Amino acid sequence: MNVKIDGKYYSGNKGETLLELARRNEIEIPSLCYKEGFEGLGRCRLCLVEVIEGNSTKTVSSCVYPIRDGIEVLTNTKNIVNMRKDIIFLLLLRTPNNGYIRKLAEEYGVKAPSRYLDMEREEDCILCGLCVKACEKLGTNAISLVNRGITKKVSTPYDDASKDCIGCGACAEVCPTNAISLVEQDGKRIIWNKTFDLISCTRCGKCYSTEEVLHHIDEQLGVKTQEYLCESCSRRLVGEKFKEAFQNLI
Amino acid sequence: MNDIYDEKMEILVCCGTGCLANNSYRVYERFKEILGEESEVAVKPLIKATGCNGLCEKGPVVKILPKEIAYFKVLPDDVDDIVEKTVLKGEIVDRLLYFDVNERKRIVSHKDASFYKHQHKIALRNIGEIDPLCIGDYLKRDGYRALAKALFEMTPDQVIGEVERSGLRGRGGAGFPTGRKWNICSTYESFPKYVVCNGDEGDPGAFMDRSIMEGDPHTVIEGMIICGYAIGSNRGFLYIRDEYDLALKNMQAAIDNAREFGYLGSNILESSFEFDLEIVRGGGAFVCGESSALMASIEGNIGEPRAKYIRSVEKGLWDKPTVLNNVETWANIPPIIINGAEWFNKIGIEGNSGTKVFSLVGKVKNTGLVEVPMGTKLNELVYQIGGGIIRDRPFKAVQTGGPSGGCIPKEYMDISLDFESLDKIGSMMGSGGVIVMDDTTCMVEVARYYMEFLSEESCGKCTTCREGINTMLKILENITIGEGQLDDIDLLLQLGETIKEASLCALGKTAPNPVLTTIRYFRHEYLEHIKEKRCSAGVCKDLTTYYIDSELCTGCGLCSRRCPVAAIDGKLKEPHIIDRDICTKCGNCFTVCPRNAVKVGGANYEC
Repeated sequence: MNVKIDGKYYSGNKGETLLELARRNEIEIPSLCYKEGFEGLGRCRLCLVEVIEGNSTKTVSSCVYPIRDGIEVLTNTKNIVNMRKDIIFLLLLRTPNNGYIRKLAEEYGVKAPSRYLDMEREEDCILCGLCVKACEKLGTNAISLVNRGITKKVSTPYDDASKDCIGCGACAEVCPTNAISLVEQDGKRIIWNKTFDLISCTRCGKCYSTEEVLHHIDEQLGVKTQEYLCESCSRRLVGEKFKEAFQNLI
Repeated sequence: MNDIYDEKMEILVCCGTGCLANNSYRVYERFKEILGEESEVAVKPLIKATGCNGLCEKGPVVKILPKEIAYFKVLPDDVDDIVEKTVLKGEIVDRLLYFDVNERKRIVSHKDASFYKHQHKIALRNIGEIDPLCIGDYLKRDGYRALAKALFEMTPDQVIGEVERSGLRGRGGAGFPTGRKWNICSTYESFPKYVVCNGDEGDPGAFMDRSIMEGDPHTVIEGMIICGYAIGSNRGFLYIRDEYDLALKNMQAAIDNAREFGYLGSNILESSFEFDLEIVRGGGAFVCGESSALMASIEGNIGEPRAKYIRSVEKGLWDKPTVLNNVETWANIPPIIINGAEWFNKIGIEGNSGTKVFSLVGKVKNTGLVEVPMGTKLNELVYQIGGGIIRDRPFKAVQTGGPSGGCIPKEYMDISLDFESLDKIGSMMGSGGVIVMDDTTCMVEVARYYMEFLSEESCGKCTTCREGINTMLKILENITIGEGQLDDIDLLLQLGETIKEASLCALGKTAPNPVLTTIRYFRHEYLEHIKEKRCSAGVCKDLTTYYIDSELCTGCGLCSRRCPVAAIDGKLKEPHIIDRDICTKCGNCFTVCPRNAVKVGGANYEC
């Protein structure tokens, strides 16, 4: 499939979204709720582009728009840039103290008049939904988007400590605005109102994961891990085994 | 003996939701008590509880056939009188007749009343005429004849062709050609396919779908079975708003009945065609009326819309080809199949064939459900059928299309009610809500009210809709309390355009309409609020003071008697005065003053 983006032709695959094609070819389209490996969510709306097909021009969100042969795409028209600015403006009103969003606003030259800004607001979440997606992908489904409209938020059922949460922290890892609180202290990890005991590496003694995570992995893989190793120790172990095998060959 | 005594006499008691709330079931029971099997009265008319007659404001409605006598606002105590006079003697109970405000007289048959005589009923054809729980009543009025015709005289393609040629367009608001939708869906070779009925009516003040599901459930079922046959589907879902208790009950009873009579299930009418239906109770969110959110909700997921770059006719419910139509659209299918596309095409105007049901509410004399041919002029709807504005106050605007429709000023009163014309002036058809507003309505407050509604009912998925509507709401709130600034208007316009263009689904894409149209047609009211700190409608309380013009006041004392907090003082036949320290700005004095001597001043008005 041939797609013309900003004047240049690119070849795309069937089923590919416009944003995937653009990213593959290093064409800059901003987005907040897109993560490679996840399907597009279409939430943040920042990845808007103009698509010209035949006689019609429409604005689409590129992360969920499946490419079609022969379309022409404009990623940076004045209209698109202005809309992106408005979206950043709206996010800035939501999270006036968030460093990431403030930086983004600065980059785009977005200024919110002080009479609209409530600097007392302590909000970091932009409801991009990546955390929920990550949790779903892991097969835990501990958090979800709850409520609707302006009261929408990400939470566990009834805001309680969730029995499904394994404390893996994938949600915090994918969050673009650092909105999820993950605290590690004294061999414990606190996330989503739940406290987990951290497991130490049997080799180096470093706390590296929760017991629930290790159980979850065993369950998913259908195995029983004998030795709990942190990332660097397990890498070292692989290296040692490889070296041993190599020496035997000689 | 009077010929009214013939045994065909029927008494139809409206038991639609509006009338039920006004005790109509008691009226029905009272008729049964007096005239039922065990009574000693010689006459035994057939007594039926029907669906909604449309003129809910004047309910409970009782119709007596075949003479077509219609009584309005009937109380249980009136029943004895009706039986004694009308049923037994053939006389008319004058006080219960409909008073036609246009013709200024009482009218015997509802069909001659201004409210009804300009209507053309297709979707509502059976409602108020049949007992919705009795399949026999439906069968008597051509019920399931369209299904038999489709199954035995037409191929699926011919059925689709007929619907396409009829020009029927989706009555849920988008106006997509129904036949084309069916046609595209029929071309996909992926099974199973699904047929879905959208009965999640959520627009404030709209109740046409409810009325159809309550009053004529079989027509919806028949429409859906015909579609199933046409596109090759064996299964359908009715997604019904959970608050619609009676609709859920009647619809379920109708499904059970239809199954019993062989219209649903396997070997329908002894053909090889199989189709069945199931009710899904709505999730309780306005946004679930959006088709993709509705399907997500049926699947058991959160009611959030998805991008529709791939249409649901290809990948809908559980990613299978799905035809989803609105209740009113389904109700149009059987008559189209029976009478043919040409018949349907002759009603309405080119490109907008057939009729549309409007729920006419607000400051209009006759409120209720109205079905008129597409292309009917707005002023015919408001003045001929609606009887004009209550107390003959000045007309200000009409809001069409539900909460995200636009407000139409009086300059456009001769606009044709069709999809394109309404779109062109910034409003929309939507599901057919028509809210009439008079001079006591503040347009800034109207915009604020709808933004508040939508900020709560947006699903919150996409930034522009969730944050955008909320930001517009805050700006409007500021304006209504006198803290607006001139550049707020520009920001509202700018955000409005972005929200329309960048939002994911139709809710967001239409949400700014009330704000954009009120700025377009009533900018002076915004300026008045911002610059003069005044709300001339007297609605925004922070910007309102009421005072009495002593030159005009005749001292009749009406205002003083109606004031709930005794803030008005004055001797009879002498000008009265409002004590501002006590006044709660309820506006009663303003509305009741026969001389228009009560005036609205701004926040800082000095007497």
